Amino acid sequence: MTDLTADTYLPSEGESGLKRAKRIDRRRMLFWVLPPTLWFFVFMIIPYGMLFYYSLGSVDYVTFTPGLSPANFIKVFTTEPYLGVMLLSAKLGLFTAIFSAIIGYPLAFYLAFHAPETVKRFVYLLVIVPWWASYLVKAYAWKTILGTGGILNTMLIGAGIIDEPLTIFLYNQFSVTLTLVYIFTPFAVLSIYAQLERIPTSLIDAALNAGATRWEVFRKVVFPLSIPGILAGAVITFSLGFGDFVAPVLVGGPSSLMISNIVINLLGVAFDWPMAAAIGLVVITLGLALISVAHYLEHRFQHRL
Amino acid sequence: MSVCRSLSKNLGKSLVAGLFLSLAGAASAQAGSLNLLTWEGYADDSFVKPFEEDTGCSVDAVYVGSNDEFFAKLMGGGGAYDLISPSNDTTMKLIDAGLVDPVDMSKVPASKEFFETFESPAWLSKDGKTYGVPYAWGIIRIIVDADAVDGTPDSLAFLWDPKFKGKLAMWDDIETVYTAARYLGIEDIYDMDDEQLAKVKEALLELKPNIRKYWFTTSEMGTLMQGKEVVGGNSWEETLLKLKEDGRDIIDVDPKEGRGGWSDSWMIAKGASENECVYKWLDYVSTAKVQALGHKVTGFGYANKNLVGELTPEEKESFETLGMSDPETLKTVSWWQPVKQRAKYLEIWNQVKAAQ
Repeated sequence: MTDLTADTYLPSEGESGLKRAKRIDRRRMLFWVLPPTLWFFVFMIIPYGMLFYYSLGSVDYVTFTPGLSPANFIKVFTTEPYLGVMLLSAKLGLFTAIFSAIIGYPLAFYLAFHAPETVKRFVYLLVIVPWWASYLVKAYAWKTILGTGGILNTMLIGAGIIDEPLTIFLYNQFSVTLTLVYIFTPFAVLSIYAQLERIPTSLIDAALNAGATRWEVFRKVVFPLSIPGILAGAVITFSLGFGDFVAPVLVGGPSSLMISNIVINLLGVAFDWPMAAAIGLVVITLGLALISVAHYLEHRFQHRL
Repeated sequence: MSVCRSLSKNLGKSLVAGLFLSLAGAASAQAGSLNLLTWEGYADDSFVKPFEEDTGCSVDAVYVGSNDEFFAKLMGGGGAYDLISPSNDTTMKLIDAGLVDPVDMSKVPASKEFFETFESPAWLSKDGKTYGVPYAWGIIRIIVDADAVDGTPDSLAFLWDPKFKGKLAMWDDIETVYTAARYLGIEDIYDMDDEQLAKVKEALLELKPNIRKYWFTTSEMGTLMQGKEVVGGNSWEETLLKLKEDGRDIIDVDPKEGRGGWSDSWMIAKGASENECVYKWLDYVSTAKVQALGHKVTGFGYANKNLVGELTPEEKESFETLGMSDPETLKTVSWWQPVKQRAKYLEIWNQVKAAQ
């Protein structure tokens, strides 16, 4: 590697040396590019290809018949309940993204600008530690908090605020969103923090020196610069929320069915792999579109710091 | 994630099935070993160990979490398993797909002691052949807290009573579709046409305001009842018994429209009939003594009617309270059958769940 750089950048070596270096460079590039390409091919292209192959076929009772019919894709958009469930999943995913960002931002802000080094490390750990506990355990915990005989109701009754336990906390879209926000907020915190940390303090000092108030500094300098971080976090939390299937099962109500639950159902008890594959591909396409839009926006708001 | 899993399953199928098939084929032909694909509790040490000692057949069990796994695993390169134990809504699918061998019942003498219901049930018979040996079974109970109703309901209609708004929990399963069909008095609930299904959907949507939660496991239903989140719905026997043990006054409703029943059977995977351990196992697990040991583990009913004689007095009492030793109870049960339009049933079920 050192030889190579020396070759490339030493002008005295002349034309032939440069050519040789480029050739070696190309060969090495092939060596480095091959594994990811192979990985991409085996784990992305082939599975998606198979998904596509399945989605065009049909299942008759116990046998899969390959075909070339777009019927399953048409069904995704025209037959109940697929599109409706996808929209509901998107709604819950959006709520997850918004609330995660709202909750995550102040913490990320504190971590980036105010926390002393030792506290920072500790808080950082606190954000990550819940990930050591199983998702299931965390979702179950919300059951014991929000349930009719749960901690929240017991406290409210104890405080004399209500007489009868309320059933509105659990087994509905609220509890699903709450659980998703709780579980995925760390992603928002970390991605916003990463962005905020890149903002040089000299920028803030300059703004303050120029007479801006602290609020103006936040509104006109810090916040606009942090938008790419918010967007990156939102894409992650939205995707995780959208594709979740555990929270609806554990804390969801009779109407909180999400699209991944449908896919599981189709792959399992319904034995309708083609339909499941079609839904999967539609979701992947929507995901790609979303990521592209977010990517474009991130770049629009990204400033060289 | 599930997409990935099934894809990899499938990838595995296409890439290595051939290899494993031959390997596994060789393994199962070898005398003295038995590979089971079954539910947890169906290969408990309490009766597997004595079997291994008596016969010299070593038993290896892989557990499934749902009925579709039997089908998926056998489709995706069977051969690795000798015996499987699916429920009565899946058996015919396996038979029709040619994944199982017929059973020679004369080699299972213990089956002579079975309840009449299990002698040659429709879900195991095709072209005059029997494709499985009935094993454990259960009735889907309709339960309700005695404090929540006046007297004992004699019809499923009470579930639709608006006074139970947000107070019931039903199984997130095709069984709940059947329940609504029974409530409507539809004749053949396992072979409904589109018009009947539309009516069932209507009934399920009417029931929905009463639902607080569609449960996934019967223990979840138990938790819902214990925490007083709900006052009733449907459940398995296990939950009903547990609640009664806790001192709760729960009514085990015997609706005039009937109740659903599941029944698992041991089936021989295609080609495994040659394995001499197979019939040894089939006869062994059909005896009253071994089924009593099974009952201790699972709490389920079993096909052998002499089972009750092997139970302890307490077990016997709860068994009889549930009506599980009475052949007449078994005859009133609407046993699950293979459903041709299964995908359609599940589609309306998803539509009901998705309705806002």
